Amino acid sequence: MQEFGFSHLTLFKVSFDAVTIFLAFIAITTTQKTSMSFGFAAGVLAGLLTGNMGLQMLARTVGSFVASFFQTPKESHATIKQKSRRFYGAVIAAGLCTNAILAIGENPLGLSLAYRFFVFGLLESLFNIILALILNRLFLRKSLVN
Amino acid sequence: MRKFFTLLFKYNTWLLFAAYCSIAVIFIKLQQDDILARIHTGSIEFGAAINEKLTGISSLFTLSSENDRLMQLNSDLLSRVLILETAAVDERNLRKIAADSTFNASGFLMARVVDRKFSDRDNMLVIDAGWRRGIKKDMTVLVPQGLVGRVISVSENYARVMPVIHPDFKVCVVADSSNNMGILSWSGGKEFIAQVEHIPISSTLKVHERMVTSDFSTFSMRGIPVGRVVRITPDNLFYRVDVRLAVDFASLTHVLVAPLKIEPEKSAITGTTPEKQEIP
Repeated sequence: MQEFGFSHLTLFKVSFDAVTIFLAFIAITTTQKTSMSFGFAAGVLAGLLTGNMGLQMLARTVGSFVASFFQTPKESHATIKQKSRRFYGAVIAAGLCTNAILAIGENPLGLSLAYRFFVFGLLESLFNIILALILNRLFLRKSLVN
Repeated sequence: MRKFFTLLFKYNTWLLFAAYCSIAVIFIKLQQDDILARIHTGSIEFGAAINEKLTGISSLFTLSSENDRLMQLNSDLLSRVLILETAAVDERNLRKIAADSTFNASGFLMARVVDRKFSDRDNMLVIDAGWRRGIKKDMTVLVPQGLVGRVISVSENYARVMPVIHPDFKVCVVADSSNNMGILSWSGGKEFIAQVEHIPISSTLKVHERMVTSDFSTFSMRGIPVGRVVRITPDNLFYRVDVRLAVDFASLTHVLVAPLKIEPEKSAITGTTPEKQEIP
């Protein structure tokens, strides 16, 4: 979906990153090791489709590892609002880390590192938050309650 | 020993993280390895096939067969125009017209653009012609308006093309009126403006002159239009020349692929030999 759908929906040359949102959700609902494994597997799949395997694996693993620090323990009795806020925090953190590593590793538009990190990184985080808000309202709330 | 295992269990999450990162770094270092290259080729095949199916749905309602017929006609006309224009430039400069063994007009292949990415993650074109149709790495890709790019990797039925608007793309160009030569490249910014370097201050280059590919190019045949000079800014020893590109990359649907530029005598005298490509 990300490679054949969202990658073509670009605004200012930046698109949504559904993989990051998925990994952030996994990170807050499961253990740190599980979320890292999901991130690694997502990186392998993304690398197979884009051809840049090593970089995608590293970026997704680090992103899901950072997002796992926002995990809510099952016995914490956190409210749905608190869980949602941690979910959004995980989306932003994972997005920034993933984008930073991909910005260092590849530069297809010939732009400076600072521009790619700050402008594209912030734009992508903004788009991801918007998509995360929509998905949380429509589907994910029930899973977070459970 | 017990302490070691205790530490291992205590920090197993960090160890797993380090293991995953190490595997990823190994893959990055082995990027040029043959196995990874084959995986990369397979990914082109799979991704391009899916994209072709998705874009093919819309082409059912368009005049795709009419387009194919017109592009075939265009390719015949373009080959004749390129021969005639090249001959006219040589005649104008009082040079003997030599038989150009690198230019084979009947060898043009027509292909459709099935995917185009121009974002912060990727910048390339994918066409629906691969080694099965005779496409090879470093072939020139063009349209009747001008140069599009060069083939950088090939799978069975598809090929990836690095467009002119890519930071790593460079081509030797020459002005058709003043014969000034330079290296054209794109360093980001506007999609339709590229830069030409190594034009000395003493040159007679003028604005609105047409830039075409030169014979010095290692991959491209000469005479393919590239763009028109729109601005010349003097620097210390060289001019900074801005060229408005002839091709609109946003509206590319069909392209032509020219045969490889093979000059064995030139390769022998310069000491370079062309790479042999193995068809998987």
